[in-house]
Amino acid sequence: MGEKLTYLSPEWCEEVKARLAREISPEKMKYITTSMTNVYRNCPDGRDKYLYFKCEDGVFTDVFVGDGEPPKAEFVITGDYSTFASISQGKLKSQRALMGGKLKLRGNMVKALKLASLADRLNFVIAGIPTDY
Amino acid sequence: MGNKHTDERDPFYIDYPGRIANIQKLMAEQDIDAYLGSRLRTLSWTTDAFCPWRSFVIIPSDGLPTVFTFVIDAARVADDSWLDEDHVLGYAPMGGMDQISIISDFIRDTLGIKRGRIGVENGMSNYLPEGNLTHYEYEQFKAALPSCELVDAHQIIDRLSLIKDQGTINRFREASRIVDEGHKAVRNALENGGWRGKTETEIAGIAALAMRKAGSEWEWSFTGGNEIASGYRTGFAGGACTPATRREIQQGEPLMVDIHAMFKLGLGDHSHNYFIGTASDRQWWHANNFLDMVRLVLDTYRAGITPVGLAEEMMGFAEERGFAENMVPGFEHGIGMMGDEWRIGLGDGPIPFWTNPEHVYQDGELIICAMQYACPDENIGFRYENPIVIKKDGCEPLSKFPLDIEEIR
Repeated sequence: MGEKLTYLSPEWCEEVKARLAREISPEKMKYITTSMTNVYRNCPDGRDKYLYFKCEDGVFTDVFVGDGEPPKAEFVITGDYSTFASISQGKLKSQRALMGGKLKLRGNMVKALKLASLADRLNFVIAGIPTDY
Repeated sequence: MGNKHTDERDPFYIDYPGRIANIQKLMAEQDIDAYLGSRLRTLSWTTDAFCPWRSFVIIPSDGLPTVFTFVIDAARVADDSWLDEDHVLGYAPMGGMDQISIISDFIRDTLGIKRGRIGVENGMSNYLPEGNLTHYEYEQFKAALPSCELVDAHQIIDRLSLIKDQGTINRFREASRIVDEGHKAVRNALENGGWRGKTETEIAGIAALAMRKAGSEWEWSFTGGNEIASGYRTGFAGGACTPATRREIQQGEPLMVDIHAMFKLGLGDHSHNYFIGTASDRQWWHANNFLDMVRLVLDTYRAGITPVGLAEEMMGFAEERGFAENMVPGFEHGIGMMGDEWRIGLGDGPIPFWTNPEHVYQDGELIICAMQYACPDENIGFRYENPIVIKKDGCEPLSKFPLDIEEIR
């Protein structure tokens, strides 16, 4: 893929979904069932957006972008668009962003720790998509 | 939730859902929408888990409580507690996950309390791990929940935990049996010249090993675990706190062995005293004063008496016998599940948060019968401690190690 996709656009989201299906096996995802919403504050268009992931038995069954009220999820990570963009570009580690308070997590922290390495795999796949931020 | 803690035939069974329901009943009477407990005693009494890190329990008006503890210990607390992992959550130094954010979010969003009264645990204590809400925590919760009123409600727990249920008493009984095993091991190690070259810390360790072998979880006392004192260290003026040191015990000296065991948050605490070698007549005069005092105190404890009444009577006896200046004028300290130590009753006396001297003991209360004899001028002292269950017509000492002061050869 040579053409860059716009971050958080429907096309970009479709590419995320395709790559997750292709590059992360249910085994790699430890056959988990969970859901996560990233809430992006202060997007370039001035609005808030969200990116929702649903994983059932290790398979990503739902990945979609939206604005307005995000769907309920087991984990909700909230932060500025620029923070998420930095993470997706590999300029900022998600752990540093969380520990520094740039991202705010809601959900069961113990379960989140168990899933941290899986979230890293997900971020790694996203970082591989040629993207315009 | 696993199958632990649910067998009512287990002698150590405690009805935790019943405890929570009783708390919720008192919360309703006081118009409290959620109880935010932070004291170690509250954590132990409501969760059945030892919470060594700063922890909080949120008790809603209805339903199960949720514990918040440092994330590195949350899975272990959930494993030990009667609560499941969805009701034991971890906090961490991450955005949204610090203890103030996660708890205030929980109260506001999960419990849906936008306005209301939140019960908190205000107060002070001489016991360092008490765990009252700190000023900073209070201010932060107040700012995070601006439409909620934070009110002191600690007496809800204190009232309900005053009279011990059978499961709690049985846990203390077992912890006391374990302490007795520690005392047997110490005595065996000291006799027949075994005392030579031994230090206070080594004696503390001998007791610890024996008690751990017998099932103790730890030497729970914050006063340095097992308190061992020899020679002049037994007789600190007004003293009753002797963490073990590297001091080697010596012939002709008294030795105080005050050891602690924990069994399922029930606490064993018994002190026994020795002479190393043959004691002088003067030393035996002190020893017999002490032993007679302990016997009299144990004979006197029963429902209906008060701490101040007992102290007056016992100090009268000591005065008559001529050793009043050697007695620390207190004969008890409070005890309950881990974290509940020192004060008796509700702390509702003339000096807030201390034992009310006019507290009237009731059938089913559990205290530590505690006495300290100290004569610093002669480098001699003795300590007695033993958990006792207050009964209508007397008391039941839980440690059965025979009361005596023995000469160890």
